[in-house]
Amino acid sequence: METIKAVFSYTFREHVRNKVWLGGALFGLVMLAGGLVVSALAADERGRVMLDLGLAANEIIALVSVVFLTVHLILQEIESRSVFLILTHPVRRWHYLMGRFLGTLGAVGAGLAAMGLAHWALLKLLGWGGDGWYLAAWLCSFGKVAVMGALALLLSLALTSEAAAMAFSVFFWILGHFSAELRFVADKSGNALLRSALLVFSWAAPDFAHFDYRNAWHAGAPDPRWMAAGAVYALAYAGACFALSVQVFEQKEF
Amino acid sequence: MNAIRFQKVGKIYRRSHLGRLTESVGLDGLDLDVREGEVFGLLGLNGSGKTTAIKLIMGLHLPTTGDVEVLGRRMPDVEVLARIGYAPEAAYLNKSLTGRENLRLFAALSRVPAPAREAKVESMMTKVGLGHALDKRLSEYSKGMLQRASLAQALIHDPELVILDEPVTGLDPLAIKEVRALILWLKARGKTVLFSSHDISEVEKVCDRIGILSGGRLARTMTQDEWRGKPDALENAFAAAVTRTDGVGEIRLD
Repeated sequence: METIKAVFSYTFREHVRNKVWLGGALFGLVMLAGGLVVSALAADERGRVMLDLGLAANEIIALVSVVFLTVHLILQEIESRSVFLILTHPVRRWHYLMGRFLGTLGAVGAGLAAMGLAHWALLKLLGWGGDGWYLAAWLCSFGKVAVMGALALLLSLALTSEAAAMAFSVFFWILGHFSAELRFVADKSGNALLRSALLVFSWAAPDFAHFDYRNAWHAGAPDPRWMAAGAVYALAYAGACFALSVQVFEQKEF
Repeated sequence: MNAIRFQKVGKIYRRSHLGRLTESVGLDGLDLDVREGEVFGLLGLNGSGKTTAIKLIMGLHLPTTGDVEVLGRRMPDVEVLARIGYAPEAAYLNKSLTGRENLRLFAALSRVPAPAREAKVESMMTKVGLGHALDKRLSEYSKGMLQRASLAQALIHDPELVILDEPVTGLDPLAIKEVRALILWLKARGKTVLFSSHDISEVEKVCDRIGILSGGRLARTMTQDEWRGKPDALENAFAAAVTRTDGVGEIRLD
């Protein structure tokens, strides 16, 4: 536990010093530009548009950050050989990986929270009042971030190329929005090979339907059971990716 | 009692590129013992297997054949790493941290008890002459300062066995003198020191015994009696024992 804590702490600090908070600044700019456009074009729907725009910008910035950071997380340490020095101490490899991953998730989560708070305050100024819903939306975004971070970590270790890992992460991210559609097409397909391939992809890619709060949003407050199922899915998917990452990392010689 | 024991250790590096497998020999049936409390120098040309041997001791590589035992435990063994201090040839440190944060990290990883950690960090940084640069980022350190910070992380947990990979390479004469004094200070405190070097004159001054590696094998071992008071004895023995394996010929003077 002590080693995970130590690695978590230096990873978090490293990200903060490497200016991960610039994502928050970018978010501020998006909101400012969005606000200007909205006030000019949709004065009567200002609150709703600001809500959707803010949540989307918040999520996209956090997802781009987490993919970028986790893809570089271990590969950069291998390149600079700092991993080499850490592993010559009594550190189990999975502790190191866990500390690095949680440190990154913590830094991105803190950024997501800061952007969320700023956005929420802006919505309050505009007279919006769905606090519980906003928290649910934030938690769904964080679930997506955790899942994508774990997947990007696995891809970076398995492919050992930052560019390839980044490309595959984006591919799976896009695929993750169409899991149900992939399964539907697989069911309708007469070709056994195509059917199997589609099913494999639909199960391998994250299923973002578990975090799609927008459907619940317009139907009222999200059901706590639906939220719990999303949390279980995020833990299971991220846990499976992490376990595979550990397997790959254990085989590496430095 | 042996601090380190290599028993018929072989290490073959296998690399696959575009479906083509290439193999290179890192160690070829190495038998070597390092006794407790002695200063042992590992001499050899580039590619002779010095760094491979050290990586096997530190558990960063797995032997292809044979056994490596360190402080009575078969490697790789994470627990035994708590009793070893290791400084690599270059300081592979995370440059975004300050000197204090860096050493605090390694103290935590080396299981220095939390209440004693801060005092140990400060005293060790002062010991290696970096007391004034505790809160400076490592990115602002000079090469010599980084080397000292690397030595500090190797010694922070008062290890029984200290391994120094090319500790004097690239250092100025004054720093070399200090490293030499440090090795002798460690020996006086009953520590076992293993260091690898190209520098025969340095090895002569501090070692109790040396081992000459050539082509991944132990070509010769010598004790201090065999070179003390005999100018060029070690250099001549070295030249006679090694064979070039790096594919370059001699410099021709005709």
